[in-house]
Amino acid sequence: MKVNKELKKRIEKIYKNTQVEFPEANRMVIKTKQGNLLPILEFLKSEGFRQLKAISCVDWIEEKEFELVYQVASLNSPLHIMVKVRIGREDAQMETIMKIFGNAQVYEREIHELFGVKFRGNPDLSPLFLENWQSIPPFRKDFDTREYVKDVFDKIPNVESENEKS
Amino acid sequence: MKVVEFVFSPFLAFIIGVFFLGLFRKIVARIHQRYGPPIIQPLLDVIKLFHQKGFSHGVLFDLGLILSLAGSIVVILFLPFAGICPLKSSGGLLVILYMMLFLPLGIALSGGEGANPNISIGISRKLILSLGYEVPFLLIIISVMNFYKTISIVDIVNSQGGFRWALFSPLFFSGIAYFMILPAMLGMRPFDIVSAPQEISSGPQVEYGGKYLALSHIQHAFSIFITIALFVNLFLGGGENIFFFFLKMLVVFVSMVLIHSVFPRLRLEQALRYLWRWPTIFAFLGVIVSQIMR
Amino acid sequence: MDRKSVIKWIKEPGKMGHKYSLWAVYFCTGCGIIEIPPVITSRWDAERFGVIPVATPRQANLFMITGYVSLKTLKAIIRTYEQMPEPKYTVAFGSCPINGGMYWDSYNTIKHIDKYIPIDGWIAGCMPRPEAIFIAVTKLWMMIDKGAATGYIRYRKNYKFYRRNQEKLFGELAWPPLYPIDEKEDESE
Repeated sequence: MKVNKELKKRIEKIYKNTQVEFPEANRMVIKTKQGNLLPILEFLKSEGFRQLKAISCVDWIEEKEFELVYQVASLNSPLHIMVKVRIGREDAQMETIMKIFGNAQVYEREIHELFGVKFRGNPDLSPLFLENWQSIPPFRKDFDTREYVKDVFDKIPNVESENEKS
Repeated sequence: MKVVEFVFSPFLAFIIGVFFLGLFRKIVARIHQRYGPPIIQPLLDVIKLFHQKGFSHGVLFDLGLILSLAGSIVVILFLPFAGICPLKSSGGLLVILYMMLFLPLGIALSGGEGANPNISIGISRKLILSLGYEVPFLLIIISVMNFYKTISIVDIVNSQGGFRWALFSPLFFSGIAYFMILPAMLGMRPFDIVSAPQEISSGPQVEYGGKYLALSHIQHAFSIFITIALFVNLFLGGGENIFFFFLKMLVVFVSMVLIHSVFPRLRLEQALRYLWRWPTIFAFLGVIVSQIMR
Repeated sequence: MDRKSVIKWIKEPGKMGHKYSLWAVYFCTGCGIIEIPPVITSRWDAERFGVIPVATPRQANLFMITGYVSLKTLKAIIRTYEQMPEPKYTVAFGSCPINGGMYWDSYNTIKHIDKYIPIDGWIAGCMPRPEAIFIAVTKLWMMIDKGAATGYIRYRKNYKFYRRNQEKLFGELAWPPLYPIDEKEDESE
């Protein structure tokens, strides 16, 4: 615990506009601005938190923001750190973190496909799951799946009834 | 009379081969503590396969399979069983050794036309495995030919009359070596590397459908018959009539099935290491003993 | 089960052969794949019905669609189904192929698989037990007897409509049409 508190003090001292909290035991949440993200991740990697577990995205539709959560962990310490960054919802763009963690390429590809966030510097942002997709990214909160199903799947005619006509 | 023998002998081989395939599935099922399919199930499969429309990939695709099947039928005409041997005075063992090469060669020819990499992997495995078992096999054949001073199988069978089987004579080591490489020649576990459904999607048979697969099944039945009949003729004394011959083949085949149902599959280099170690040593000992005690 | 009646085998060997040796292609679709290994191994033995799994669609008779079908899986299913030799039969397990099932409002699963691939038999359940799979096999035998299992004939006759439905989902398809589609103008227009 003492190690964690020291880490918190160091981060808050070095980087401006950063808040560090401990919501539960062994969980640390760092909220920063977009410009501070890459230096903080490099600092954490040099501290021993060398594994990027996941990148997730939260859609705050009333505040018109996306929140990207970078989860890093270490093989030597039980602490799980989440670095949260907020970006605007219209024309969302972000710098890629592939130079620090190489496995971020697939997570950024998934977030681009499902939320529509562009990552500058990622070489391959082609879709992973969706085929022939022509609507807004499906995980956004203003995407109505029932309307989409009625539009695309229910409109395809049954082959049996076609045959009776012709 | 000769014409009857020419027709009757492949037909009998087909019946015995299909019966062995069905018995194989039944025995394996009973060992797994379940009921299995009925014993005539391979015949039902072949009947179904003849009523399906397969796809052809070209002329060589068809011709290779027919070449392989024709090779098997011709080998059967050279093998004696219980006194029936249509082509007995034409070369004997050497011709059989030569013609047995047509079986994988035909399949390799047809596999070159089917555009699937699994076929070429299966064919390369088959050829490397046959490189493995040909070395002790040829030493065994040399020791048998040397001991009985003849290359005609009918003479070898006749000089083992009564109970003077080759397995109990000084050729004992060669017999043991032949028994040890029989699973590799039959394509049963632990050596069923060639048609491994889980690894390479059935190897050379992956593009066969419909009539081609029916011919491939028939060819598999023939090859089982050929391998076991050769072993029974050379080392277990042939047979006075068809009943005893069939009984000896049954004993050998059931022991192969019991080995098959217990062992897992070996890798190719493990199989080669096994085949070139103990069976080759025993076969070599057999050659030396047969030369000393002619 | 009339597997032992020799007269029927001699009169119509094709139909009896298709009934008593159904070879299933080992294609694992959705969550229903967890029900297939118990069916084909020792406890509920499917080999006594003549059903064995084979590794390649060129050797297979029967296609089992077990569970929900996403868009990517549907592409693979269509390609595999078109490679099987005729006559071929399909059976759909579970409630997801029938009308969408649990994923009725999902953006990435197929709601009615009958619009893209012809289906001969449906089994209800989520997932059906192995005993239900055996009842389905025996009902498929009865359908083949009567000549009612005509999925592949429907596919051949109405291939134009099936391909149009597939193209509505995927845009341009990467493989050529299986049967020739002739564009005849309708006389009334």
